[in-house]
Amino acid sequence: MELLSNLGDGLSYVIGVVPILTIILGVTMGIIAGATPGLSPSMGVALLVPFTYAMTPTLALILLVAIYIAANYGGSITAVTINAPGTPSSVVTSFDGYPLTKKGKPGMALGVSLVASTIGGIVGTLILIFFSGPLARVALKFHPAEYFALAIFGLTTVASLGGKNWIKAFIAAMFGLLINTIGIDPISGVSRFTFGLSFLYDGFALIPALIGLFALSEIFKQLENGKFDSKAADSGKQEWPTFLEYWKLKLTILRSSFIGTIIGIFPGAGATIAAFISYDLTKKMSKSPEEFGKGSMEGVAAAEGANSSSVGGALIPLLTLGIPGSASTAVLIGALMIHDLTPGPQLFISSPDIIYGLLASLLLANIILLALGFFGSRLWIKVTTIPKRILFPIIFAVSIIGSFAVRNSFFDVIACLGFGVFGWILRRYNYPVAPIVLGMVLGNIAETNFIRAVMMGGWTVFFTRPASLIMLLVALASFSVPLIQARKEKRRTTK
Amino acid sequence: MNNDLTSTQKMVIKSTLKFRILFFLLFGIVFAGFPDKPIKIVVYTGPGGLIDITARKFASVSDKYVDATFVVENKPGAGGIVALKKVLQAPEDGYNLYACTKSNIAKFIQVGGRDYVNALHWTAMLMADPECVLTNVENDIFEWNDIVNDALQNPGEQNWVGPAAGGLDHVTAMKIWDEYGMYAKWIPYKSGGKAIAALLGEQGVAYVGNPRDALGNPDLYIAAVSSDERLEAFPNAPTFAELGTTTLNNEYMWRGFALKAGTPPDVIEWYTNLFQQVTADPDWKEFWEKGGIDVEFIGGDEFTDIVKQDVETFEYYLTKSEIISTSSNNGLSKYGEGTPLLILTIGLITVIGLAGYLIYKSSFSNTFGRIMVIGFFLLISIVFYLQSFIFPVSGEVGPAVVPRLWIFALVPLSLLLLVKTLRNKEGVEHAGPRVDIVLTFIGFLVVYLLVMNYVGYFLSTFVFMITGMIYLGYKNIKVMLITSATWIVFSYIIFYKILFVPLPLGKWFERLF
Repeated sequence: MELLSNLGDGLSYVIGVVPILTIILGVTMGIIAGATPGLSPSMGVALLVPFTYAMTPTLALILLVAIYIAANYGGSITAVTINAPGTPSSVVTSFDGYPLTKKGKPGMALGVSLVASTIGGIVGTLILIFFSGPLARVALKFHPAEYFALAIFGLTTVASLGGKNWIKAFIAAMFGLLINTIGIDPISGVSRFTFGLSFLYDGFALIPALIGLFALSEIFKQLENGKFDSKAADSGKQEWPTFLEYWKLKLTILRSSFIGTIIGIFPGAGATIAAFISYDLTKKMSKSPEEFGKGSMEGVAAAEGANSSSVGGALIPLLTLGIPGSASTAVLIGALMIHDLTPGPQLFISSPDIIYGLLASLLLANIILLALGFFGSRLWIKVTTIPKRILFPIIFAVSIIGSFAVRNSFFDVIACLGFGVFGWILRRYNYPVAPIVLGMVLGNIAETNFIRAVMMGGWTVFFTRPASLIMLLVALASFSVPLIQARKEKRRTTK
Repeated sequence: MNNDLTSTQKMVIKSTLKFRILFFLLFGIVFAGFPDKPIKIVVYTGPGGLIDITARKFASVSDKYVDATFVVENKPGAGGIVALKKVLQAPEDGYNLYACTKSNIAKFIQVGGRDYVNALHWTAMLMADPECVLTNVENDIFEWNDIVNDALQNPGEQNWVGPAAGGLDHVTAMKIWDEYGMYAKWIPYKSGGKAIAALLGEQGVAYVGNPRDALGNPDLYIAAVSSDERLEAFPNAPTFAELGTTTLNNEYMWRGFALKAGTPPDVIEWYTNLFQQVTADPDWKEFWEKGGIDVEFIGGDEFTDIVKQDVETFEYYLTKSEIISTSSNNGLSKYGEGTPLLILTIGLITVIGLAGYLIYKSSFSNTFGRIMVIGFFLLISIVFYLQSFIFPVSGEVGPAVVPRLWIFALVPLSLLLLVKTLRNKEGVEHAGPRVDIVLTFIGFLVVYLLVMNYVGYFLSTFVFMITGMIYLGYKNIKVMLITSATWIVFSYIIFYKILFVPLPLGKWFERLF
């Protein structure tokens, strides 16, 4: 009960004009940052850290956390409306969100993504509030072998994503993994595949690749088809999900929220893997898996529920141990340090006002997100009614500034254009591009943990640790089941 | 103008060489006015890191002493190389201050050797924090002597965790091991925080880093500190001297500032004065000493000597741990770089091109595009595979292992797809009728990016947007102008002004700003 009274105290810190205005400001900026391709949640947070120097620590944290939450949601807006995921994790949202827009129903996708995001965010926060201690201790015991197994598990979702194009999907994933090794090797420190070019030392940044592969290649594809007379959707009446439609998604959203929180806890794994795994699992459990990829509301809910709840998960190791669970939380640690606060278990004792104020503001920020998103959706759905003749040049301009802003590097802009052309070519020949992004996200986690695991426990360590073995077996099943099903399907149709 | 010259400058003018006159005239102007525009502090990490905080705190404390505007610019990437390039590309006029740490030296040595180190004038070192060994009290062993005894009994068995291999902390660990005649494994993590997580998870015995890292978590224990005396902020942490080794009293992480080599001496003096004033500032002192960080001013000459020593240490240990290697030791390595690799790549492209031509002419012509894509994947695989032979072989799993793993999966998958494609000639292609529009647009984009260098982001983007809209057949001029102008204003305010994204202003316009 002490927890509840502390939380009550926490709420009293954030119920006030200034904190609530700060949350509203943060949520608004976060949505914009998330919706701008190139401004990821971690960048949104990082870019605003300097502004918080002058604020009180509690207000600074409230602002940064509100941005973080809202940016995670904001990424899905552009994923749905123009197939340009604003964040790596909203790639999964675009799988079904954009097809819904193409069908003229962007409202359905935006509605589901907002509600799933909010519920996911709240579930993640509640788990953070009530179970952070024990969960953090479990997360610490996670051996590199288990991280590797988790990455492999994430990778096997490619099998069901690719469907009958599974070979191409795996080629794309392997390509993503391979180009991810360009740059300075994180383990040995030697530079690999850089050909002596200094702009390659840090490898390809994920965001320019994401913008190129999704946003630019989509435009190139539509230009090639000569389809730019029309608008994506009619400006007339928009369909929004009814309460009953939301209610039908309750299990999907809850399940995804749990998956998202749990995977979010593991430092470094984060929102993207959570979204992919949750989507894959939902597809397998769904009564209508054939709808996935063509505009399934379940698919949107699975992706968004998982990626938003991972925020709560990522904050667990940060607050309880002082260890960042994601790029954005790493920036939060820096922000805490600037305010002379050292994150970790001591912080609960030395500054409970800050911790519980933060937890309370997380809940409040999610509710404000729902309200702002509800009205906002009516606004940004208008993006789909902009004539493409105007929209396309705007998207190019946004993409270029977005890829530049990641590292203030012109190389990233060129890389973005390169990925755009490459993605366009691949899509002509039916290669899915999402596995490339997945490969780039997982490459580092897979490689560094593979090597660490072998260094610590030899080559057999993956099979001698029970948790790792179980995950690898689940991965094997997740890989082979869709392939066997596809084969059966094929036999049935040829008969 | 002549009337304004000081006597030294008059003497210089009398000297014979023309360029020297010119140089000192310019230099006189710099001296008279420095700083007459904002000074950029280039930080090699993102906002929020310790060096970023150092730069920002320095900027705010400096306000008290000089009438100068400092702007912190984050240029993360490649362990400081990206930021270094940024400073080296600018003129040596003192308007770009590089916020540096000892870790930069390790990275410079790995990437560019001594040239990179010598390209900077090491102006001042402002603080040093001693390195320490952290342990976890939940582990079976956590006292320093127990760790040493265990390591001596089981050589190479202990896992030590920390940030990147070849970095300062790794080198410090190797030095400590040498001193005690012991040997352990270094398990590198992406950041210090992740390594501490592994220590807390009892996956490692020891962590090497900053004593500050132990704050906030009661399970963490400072087993040994590399300093002469116990630290004020951590009075319970023993020094190496107390533990029986006198040579490990001076391993520390420093932070300071550097300028591009060749910066005029007067500018350097201006900075030296400022650094001294800031170091003596009570606010500055209190901020750092609370966290157990020594604040101390060490000027150019002495700092340069310290850097020289660091260079030697890093060269020694990085060579020893095979992170920088002088020779390759693999059978195929001679094809992995330089001219042979280039010839091979061109050869492969020719083969693929020829195959493509034959396919195009044959009855398989409708598979041309698909086969070219597969060819591209195979080409990348082969080139990367050959390159992987030049990587040094170190430890059980060297840097070549994982890329090869992906290549070994990519090649058979590509070949399988190739066979399937050739068998099933009539597969679908999603080619649309208007490839010309796409190519024109790509052309626009290339021109746009090239022009951006000269006329800057704002003008080129405006023109690009209008051109694009007209090309796509949009008719309403008013809407086009309003939309493009709105975007320009939006991007200027949000990205350039608020988020400090240094969008290129263009070579032709830079002087106006």
